[in-house]
Amino acid sequence: MTKRIGILATTLVLSLVIMTGLAGAQTISFADAAALLARDCGPDIEKYCKGLNLGNNAIRNCLEGHQSNVSPTCTATASAVATSIERRLAAQASVMKICSGHAKTLCKGVVGEANILRCLVRTERLDGAKCNQAITDSGWR
Amino acid sequence: MFDRSLRLYLPTALFLAVAPANAQQLSDRDLIQTLGQARSTAPIVDVGLLAQELIANVGKGVATLPNWSQLATLPQLAVEINFANDSDAILPESYRTIGLIADAMHNPTLRHFKFLIVGHASATGKAEHNLELSERRANAIMVALTTTFAVPPSQVLALGVGQELPLDKANPKAAINRRVQLINLGVPR
Repeated sequence: MTKRIGILATTLVLSLVIMTGLAGAQTISFADAAALLARDCGPDIEKYCKGLNLGNNAIRNCLEGHQSNVSPTCTATASAVATSIERRLAAQASVMKICSGHAKTLCKGVVGEANILRCLVRTERLDGAKCNQAITDSGWR
Repeated sequence: MFDRSLRLYLPTALFLAVAPANAQQLSDRDLIQTLGQARSTAPIVDVGLLAQELIANVGKGVATLPNWSQLATLPQLAVEINFANDSDAILPESYRTIGLIADAMHNPTLRHFKFLIVGHASATGKAEHNLELSERRANAIMVALTTTFAVPPSQVLALGVGQELPLDKANPKAAINRRVQLINLGVPR
């Protein structure tokens, strides 16, 4: 019983740490997200998902299917990693649109997404909260 | 045997004069810088022709064939991806490398380019088996990129070349020949 409460408490604390670390104010790179998944779920993947691949959600589905066996840390990390990847993808897809007003006024004549973003990173103080948040979430600061 | 390791070798010849890099040390900045050195004079590579040349030359090598020899002139670099033995399942230890490639392909500097993933085997075991396994492994990398990391499917192609393009020609069985090339094919035309 005490052990179970201990595990529950650990899970809760870990979830909070991961939530604030990942799904909170910032997203992390795809490389860091994948590394976290490997670190926290590697042993469970070896045990329950051998031969399955990272693509097509095969690993994610397998971990969810074995949720009762998979370590609580892995469950929390897998979910937080998926959220972070989604958020970063969404930010990357929308950053140019969200920042288009600022780009027009602050980066006049600058051509090409990469160059406009480079310009916006330099004009950070004038970009406004939404545009700045989108640049940060996209990982392109 | 193909074994568990398939180096993701993005040929170093032109742009990065280092041995096939350890993926753990690579950053997406390295990838972006190396792969982004596309030239407007770069040859147009037809992946269909590559596949044709390959099928006609299993066991004989492809290095000197017209279309395959063109690949060496394109921006590319080297990392390592590990797979389960005789399987196309990417091992967790290589997840980060897949994420790294995804970071690079999504980056505004690279996302208008098309990329070719080429899987290679060392010359242990049967040439046909090596070809088939390298093809499945290159595909597994492509699928992970285009599903888990939402790289647009139009941005990436995969091809397995088996043991036909060894890095160490004198030692076709050497582990260094097991690798994957990631090649910038330029802007789709």
